[in-house]
Amino acid sequence: MCHGWEPIRSGRCTNPVRTREGGRIVDETAVIARVRAGEPEAYAELVRAHTGIALRAAAALGAGADAEDVVQQAFVKAYCALGRFKEGSAFKPWFLSIVANETRNTVRTAARQRTLAGREAALVEAEPLIPESSDPAVAAVRIERRAALESALEKLSEEHRLVVTYRYLLEMDESETAQALGWPRGTVKSRLNRALRKLGKLLPDFEPREGGDERE
Amino acid sequence: MSVSESYGGEGADGSAREPASRLPEELRALGRSLDAAGPGVSESMVERVLEQILAERVPVPVAEPRGSGARLRAARRWARVRWRALTATLCGLLAVLTLTPPVRAAVLDWFDFGGVEVRYDPSAVPSPGAEVPGCGRSVSLAQAERRAGFEPLVPAALGVPDVVTVTAEPRGRSLVSLCWRERGDTIRLDEYPARLDIGFAKSVREQPEWLSLSGDSSDLGGVNDTALWFPRPHLLSFWLVDAEGSHYTRARRTAGPTLLWMHGSGVLDMPDVTLRLEGVASKGRAVEIANSLGEPSDAGAEKSSK
Repeated sequence: MCHGWEPIRSGRCTNPVRTREGGRIVDETAVIARVRAGEPEAYAELVRAHTGIALRAAAALGAGADAEDVVQQAFVKAYCALGRFKEGSAFKPWFLSIVANETRNTVRTAARQRTLAGREAALVEAEPLIPESSDPAVAAVRIERRAALESALEKLSEEHRLVVTYRYLLEMDESETAQALGWPRGTVKSRLNRALRKLGKLLPDFEPREGGDERE
Repeated sequence: MSVSESYGGEGADGSAREPASRLPEELRALGRSLDAAGPGVSESMVERVLEQILAERVPVPVAEPRGSGARLRAARRWARVRWRALTATLCGLLAVLTLTPPVRAAVLDWFDFGGVEVRYDPSAVPSPGAEVPGCGRSVSLAQAERRAGFEPLVPAALGVPDVVTVTAEPRGRSLVSLCWRERGDTIRLDEYPARLDIGFAKSVREQPEWLSLSGDSSDLGGVNDTALWFPRPHLLSFWLVDAEGSHYTRARRTAGPTLLWMHGSGVLDMPDVTLRLEGVASKGRAVEIANSLGEPSDAGAEKSSK
């Protein structure tokens, strides 16, 4: 009586398309088509592949302790909206813009404290990542450096912070960033340059040593 | 400051312009450091999301033609009107797809009525050395029957229980627990006057084993034949559903090897009973115990159903 295939196991094991950061589905379009055809198991694949980056996005955008709830809501909203998803385009930027929206809605009220608390928590959590064998003085410097980086990010304008977050913290390329933010690519490029320059100036180690740097 | 140590590249040529080029790398590292550790995170997210989609009866996202407002609205209306059918399809597919084939027949049978969810949380690591909890202070079987509203089923293989207790459950129902002491260990049998169904079964840590409680009625292939065997300690939560179909959740502790099955009362207006047997490490013995249940009272019902 125990004959035949096992959907769970084979589905899981033959899903070879994971990258280091939690994954990418090779044929997203096919998966989305399956979801639209009423196959929710296929949506599980999308969730599995994008949870990591979504949690990172929520954390980077200030969701703090609510990150998991935010991501869950974003996945459900994305599911509802999947009918409107433009076929053939990339799921990740589209989905991350939903995560960003959801994060904004969730943290709008107590944004500031939450952000700070969340980042503080992230700092604490990040500490064990530093190898125990390393010199504590070096570790202390890194933690300091991190804090400086984060507070500099906080001081950027919303647009600049967003473009830096998408492009670097979330490691998207320029066109994905453009898609997620709904800006033209040229705008992404120029804002990114300005944001980096500002960030450099805000950080203690990046005092403008180059002469004649133009304003904006 | 010694901070500059982390920028070893500064001594190289172009130091005046180069520092900023480290910034992207630092920002990427900052991003990665925000990642939640643990491979279980995405699995539990999968469960949370699918569960919510089911619970909120989110319709299947039908592809909508872009730019055509009227058609779009029509599609939404269509989906809204048919959400029941869509949700049923969704649930059905989900159950069928997530269960292994030997289970499929059973699921199709079980799917028609309300039920149990056996759900695994990959992060739910059972605590080691958990013991089967005892039953507490005993009442008599007759008292238990009066309080619980159904006759506690006593497997002949175990004999008269040492302890019988009744615990009140939501919606005015009762849980009857029978305990036996055996060589210093506790065997515990929980009985619920509710039926099992599987709305959503998923294995992350380990798949439960589906058994057929053989016996004379095995050719019927009915619900009462099927049992779930959980060979290892696990964290388990059930959703038991009453006749009206409203779910309620039960938090579960770490449980050792467990057999979960149903026992039909054989009487139309009497509810079926769901049983979970814990504290018997051998699958064979657990099945034996399950099969020794209420044989006398079953015999009449079986005959009449044939």
